[in-house]
Amino acid sequence: MDETRVGGTALGGASERPIYLETKDLVVGYDGVPLISGVNIQLHAGEILTLIGPNGAGKSTILKSIVGYLESLDGAVYISGRPVNELSAHDLSLELSVMLTERMRTELLTCADIVETGRYPYTGRLGILTDEDRDKVREAMNMVHVWDLRDRDFMQISDGQRQRIMLARAIAQEPHIIMLDEPTNYLDIHYQIELLNVLRRLVRTRDVAVIMSLHELPLARKVSDYVMCIKGDGVVAAGPPEGIFTPEVINELYDLEPGVFDPITGNIQLEEI
Amino acid sequence: MQKQSDIDVGFGRSVRRRRVTIVFAALAVLLVVLATLNLCIGSLNVPIPDLLAILSGQDTTSTNYQVIWSIRLPRLIAAALLGGALALAGFLLQTFFNNPIAGPFILGISSGAKLVVALMMIVVVGSSGVMTNGMMIISAFVGSLIAMVFVLLVSRRINSMSMLIVAGVMIGYICSAATDFLITFASDANIVNLKNWSLGSFSGINWGDIGIMTVVVILSSLAVFFLSKPISAFQLGEQYAKSMGVNIRVFRVALILLSSLLAATVTAFAGPISFVGIAVPHVIKRALGTSKPLVVIPGAFFGGAIFCLFCDLIARSVFAPTEVSISAVTAIFGAPIVISILLKREKARR
Repeated sequence: MDETRVGGTALGGASERPIYLETKDLVVGYDGVPLISGVNIQLHAGEILTLIGPNGAGKSTILKSIVGYLESLDGAVYISGRPVNELSAHDLSLELSVMLTERMRTELLTCADIVETGRYPYTGRLGILTDEDRDKVREAMNMVHVWDLRDRDFMQISDGQRQRIMLARAIAQEPHIIMLDEPTNYLDIHYQIELLNVLRRLVRTRDVAVIMSLHELPLARKVSDYVMCIKGDGVVAAGPPEGIFTPEVINELYDLEPGVFDPITGNIQLEEI
Repeated sequence: MQKQSDIDVGFGRSVRRRRVTIVFAALAVLLVVLATLNLCIGSLNVPIPDLLAILSGQDTTSTNYQVIWSIRLPRLIAAALLGGALALAGFLLQTFFNNPIAGPFILGISSGAKLVVALMMIVVVGSSGVMTNGMMIISAFVGSLIAMVFVLLVSRRINSMSMLIVAGVMIGYICSAATDFLITFASDANIVNLKNWSLGSFSGINWGDIGIMTVVVILSSLAVFFLSKPISAFQLGEQYAKSMGVNIRVFRVALILLSSLLAATVTAFAGPISFVGIAVPHVIKRALGTSKPLVVIPGAFFGGAIFCLFCDLIARSVFAPTEVSISAVTAIFGAPIVISILLKREKARR
């Protein structure tokens, strides 16, 4: 197997699952300048792929290029077997939902209003929700344990709560793929763990595929089926977490001196003073 | 457990639904009351029984009949339609720029329309032609689009809400100054009339104007209403809207064209009118307790109609027989609302 190709073999029966997301020799960057090249992903239903790497390495750039927020410079992205640039915005919204890091500012919208926008692709001309849509909204909110927040103003809850509302929104959209850009930002450890549990449950029960970027290495190790390491101009390592969270790979990825950080225990060694 | 939450959902939604119903009922009552006042009050006061006789067609000969039918009724309809159009234009611009104090007047779009209309008037009337209503709307539309393009160029380069507004105000000043030059050096009697129009007024509107105005305003307002769904997605930001299936490019163009057309129509018939576009959507959102476009759009239209009827009543009756410009009145009531928005935002930031 190509070292930078992810997916396909590690999970039992994975080969029979449909491939939801595939990239072939994807090159991403800004304004025509390539930043990262040779991104090859093969993500099946029911798998979690996590991108890790130093700040500014381009994890978000890859995510943005996959959904088409950024024009990719070369290579191809396939969503459920179809080239992403041949999908209409509506078709894509049925396949993939997102949770972004940008803080948004809303006015007089309740948390339920926000989650309800996840039903956008399914509602009619005026966007009026049916009872079935409302059930899905409640289901999604229950799954993330935010049902009690439904009548609260979205601007008057904590950052962590907002993050969970946005996850509920992404779930209510009922896509095949959920893409999360640093979903654990603003969350304390309790909610970080809870969020990852929700993702796991989602993946197992609904056969959703998840692609995300994470900073917290111990969390990434626990939750991911596959990990892709981004550094410099490309993918430096990829594969199941057991192969990635070794001192060699992690030290190389983050430019750490040997022995400073143990990727398995999360133990760190500070300089002697 | 399941039962309890069923009740909860029903409860929360029915409370909100009741609030929306109450607000719309109140708007309907206000609209009727203000329409009646606008018809009755003036240099010639018409008692309500007489008004009913005139409207029901029993009285078709009195002076009152003449005043109501040929002056007050068209003026009333114009104020209501154009007020609604202004409020919607404001709401669209606030959505587009994600800026609560964006509006057609403050961003210089109304003034852009004014400048091109003045220019056209001088060229056309100067060559002894007559400016038709259609030409007025088209030149106002061109003018507002030109100003809009400038605002868009500025908004690409700066990311600050307040700087965008400052840039808009400057564009407005430039256009107004240029219009003043044109007016000063124009001598023709027709062009002197420009001066009244350029200050903003609903006076002098006749039934001929009402026809085309109704068509343009109603059609574009319906188009805005049918954009409720993508607008609600856009309220979460462009990237989320895209991920929900909104064709952002088409949507942006639609917003620009519709807000410019609505603002242009107002300017073509009544000159530039300030603050309605900012104050009305804001008050309506507070009253409804939500910014959901599906209810805010019709609410803002009726709110704009009511606000302009109210302001027009004041403009023509407080210092009667002298008329105050409509913009002066809308500013007196609208500007404090804008200040309160700014104060509230500052408080929320802390």
